[in-house]
Amino acid sequence: MPKELQSPMDSANPAQDVQGIWGMTIDQDLCTGCQACVAACSMENNVPFVGEVDAGYGRSMQWIRIERFWQGSYPNIKATPYQPVMCQNCHNAPCEPVCPVFASVHSASEDLNLQVYNRCVGTRYCANNCPYQARVFNWRDYMDPRQRPELVTLSNHWNPDVTVRRRGIMEKCTFCIQRIRHAEDTAASENRDIRDGEVVPACAQACPASAITFGRINDPATKVSQAADTSRGSHLLEELGTIPHVTYLAGGA
Amino acid sequence: MSDSTMLLALFEDIEPAANGIERLHEMGIADDQMNVISGVPIKDTILGRPSALSHVSRIALTGAILGFLLGAFLIWGTPYLFPLHVGGQPLYPVPQFLIIVFEMTMLGLMGFAFLGMFVDSGFPSYTPKEYVREISDGKIAVLFRCPSGEERKIVDALKKLGAESVNPAEARQL
Amino acid sequence: MSALTKPLFAGSKAEEQEDPKEHLMHDRMPRGEMNSMMLDSMHSTTWKYWTVTGVLAAIVATCLFYAWYYLIMNGLGVAGVNRPVYWGIFLVEVVFWIGISHAGTFISAILRVLKVEGRRPFTRAAELMTTFGLVQAGISVFLHMGRVWLSYWLIPIPNERGLWPDFHSPLMWDFMAINTYLLCSTMYLFLPLIPDLAMARDRATGWRKTLYKILAIGFRGTEGEWKNLKTAMNIFAFAIIPVMFSVHTIVSWDFAMATRPGWSSTVFGPYFVIGALHSGMAAVAIVLFLIRSTMKNMKYFLRPEHFELLGMLMLLVSMAWAYFYFNDYLVPWYGGDKWEKILTNFIQTGPEWYLWYLMLFCNVVVPWAILWNRKWRRIPWLLAIVGFLINVGMWLERFIIIPETLTINRMPFTWRLYVPAIEIALTIGNFAFFFLLYMLASRLIPLIPVWEVQEGQESHVLRKIGKARISAVSEID
Repeated sequence: MPKELQSPMDSANPAQDVQGIWGMTIDQDLCTGCQACVAACSMENNVPFVGEVDAGYGRSMQWIRIERFWQGSYPNIKATPYQPVMCQNCHNAPCEPVCPVFASVHSASEDLNLQVYNRCVGTRYCANNCPYQARVFNWRDYMDPRQRPELVTLSNHWNPDVTVRRRGIMEKCTFCIQRIRHAEDTAASENRDIRDGEVVPACAQACPASAITFGRINDPATKVSQAADTSRGSHLLEELGTIPHVTYLAGGA
Repeated sequence: MSDSTMLLALFEDIEPAANGIERLHEMGIADDQMNVISGVPIKDTILGRPSALSHVSRIALTGAILGFLLGAFLIWGTPYLFPLHVGGQPLYPVPQFLIIVFEMTMLGLMGFAFLGMFVDSGFPSYTPKEYVREISDGKIAVLFRCPSGEERKIVDALKKLGAESVNPAEARQL
Repeated sequence: MSALTKPLFAGSKAEEQEDPKEHLMHDRMPRGEMNSMMLDSMHSTTWKYWTVTGVLAAIVATCLFYAWYYLIMNGLGVAGVNRPVYWGIFLVEVVFWIGISHAGTFISAILRVLKVEGRRPFTRAAELMTTFGLVQAGISVFLHMGRVWLSYWLIPIPNERGLWPDFHSPLMWDFMAINTYLLCSTMYLFLPLIPDLAMARDRATGWRKTLYKILAIGFRGTEGEWKNLKTAMNIFAFAIIPVMFSVHTIVSWDFAMATRPGWSSTVFGPYFVIGALHSGMAAVAIVLFLIRSTMKNMKYFLRPEHFELLGMLMLLVSMAWAYFYFNDYLVPWYGGDKWEKILTNFIQTGPEWYLWYLMLFCNVVVPWAILWNRKWRRIPWLLAIVGFLINVGMWLERFIIIPETLTINRMPFTWRLYVPAIEIALTIGNFAFFFLLYMLASRLIPLIPVWEVQEGQESHVLRKIGKARISAVSEID
């Protein structure tokens, strides 16, 4: 396509100080829907359990969910592949401009979509505007053992690297930003660049089928950009122009 | 002033009040020596009075300009002080500028019109003033400064034209 | 042979010529008498009044303030909101009450600018609705927020974090617009009230004397004071009209800016403004009926002719609403994308299909079936019933636009229905608070702008043209 006809949104990040854009591929042909990523993510990120009643009412707080649809009745069922969905860390994130208090902002250097918990006042506009429904809200103080002793099952196992959130604020998948920062600090102290595969988010680490790959997608040498670059790759709701950083791989060779 | 007294003539209706004011003019009392107090607004031309001066419009315009500047600062100044990027949108957006500046301009315009009404009329003021409560019952009062010695003549003339009463005006607590 | 080619209409000859005294503007009364009628109605409080006020206050204390306390202490889990319906009845209430507030400005500003004489006795009653409606809308915004104790972070003031609010966000536009509207409409309520407060001051005794003395700010009615007051009122009357339009347009943008099926619509701005007027006019009819039938002496000021004017406006606005709704409905129905069509289908045939039909019945069928008839328009209680039904319909319209539309999104895995919980109590509390404020105000400030009625009566004369006596208005102001 001639350059002047290209959509302005396709022209990656205009900021000159891009250090590296983090991205992910999820191979739906490998995914077995075992939910190990959901459990690992919850443990890593101090995601609370909300209890049976609230979960049944659509208030479960997992940052990653595995979607699956089927048609027909047993045994003639036509099912879609498993589809793990988390925050897609869009380049043009619809959740960001609608926040009145800058709780949802963009990291220009890494093209990440950040959520600043202590700025959030709980208008929930970002969650409405997220086409992927990737955001979750703290409907109650699920983490407070005084209020819900039956829900706090692993309160001694909270991850000290991640903030515990209170009621009334919005949260979402961060691409395990605490692990990204840890790797960056290590690399800086050793005076080198981050190696490919050095940052592994909890979901990718736990995946028994190795369906999730994480790394820098602006570097063509990384495993993640090579996987995303094949004809098997596609983005969720690509037509909205949000430019997500998660690529789904399915079908073909 | 020792050589004049304040008189307050009370009229039942607009017609006699207008005639009374005309008579006062003929008797040599200038427009700036009198004031009309009424329970409803009466156009100055009806009473044959010069138009009253009001600064409210000018004060409101000042407010609109200040509001415009405040709005411009909020939408284009604050991202300069603390730049944060959101959703691929420009730091200094134009459509949002129009919205915020419109609201702030209107707030400035109306807020200052309100304040201007206070400032220009000297509100709020709780000092004693020349007033009678019949005014808010629809009567029209003409308050004027009368050269001493001519009270008798003027009172008679106004009573002939239909004034209900013409009394020395005294300032009292409203 | 008869001079007529057609027989005369049977009724035309026998029909009595209308009594001009039926019109408030021709039923002149000395100002002093009108004043005492107004003050008399403010002073008279029966045991019924105190009972209703007490019950309303009790409802406000429990359903609004205690329930709100409970909501804050336990988080929004006690409400019915979930994923994907992040916005529920709280936002329905916000849009509803801002809509109610539009009637006040419409009647007192637009009708004032257009010099519609019938407006005179009820401008204040409508303006009070603006202010009290905005109070309810503001409360509903606070109810909605997850961390309401930090809501002051939306105010653009310098702070130790060096952080400003984000003016990219439609919620910030809303914050600025609603605050502008609340401040300006309150000032606009106060301006024409000053001469009436001065009137009340001249006649009151005891604590009322002190109250009105302070509120009347020393107004006497000199030429300069009237000139300044009229100038300020004129500025407000013109300037508040675009602000009113902008407020509900921006409320609609809260929805239209989002990338959601059913919300992302360019017609939302004018459609919401008309919807606001629809519910607002209807609410004025209810309030005027209540004032007229419960307060002393109000049958003199509020007459069938005023209900007739209101009925015409209601019919007109109802037609405009139907026009905009059809626009908003047809485009997705005909050529909209997959998600829009799923949503339309869900609203009409989903588990809450009856709400959609009830909305159309209340918003279109009822007003069109009743308000076309001049005789029916002049019956106050009938107009109040129509007004009530229109408000039911408009409330449902907002319910369909917010929680029902949010049920459907582009990720079908998350679709889920919304079941209100504590919102119901808080909604009841909101309505009770609105009426409680109105009850208190009705005994504290003159609900009829007496000086404007007198001004109107002075400018109306009956002119004899041929055999008929016809009303003529002279522009004395």
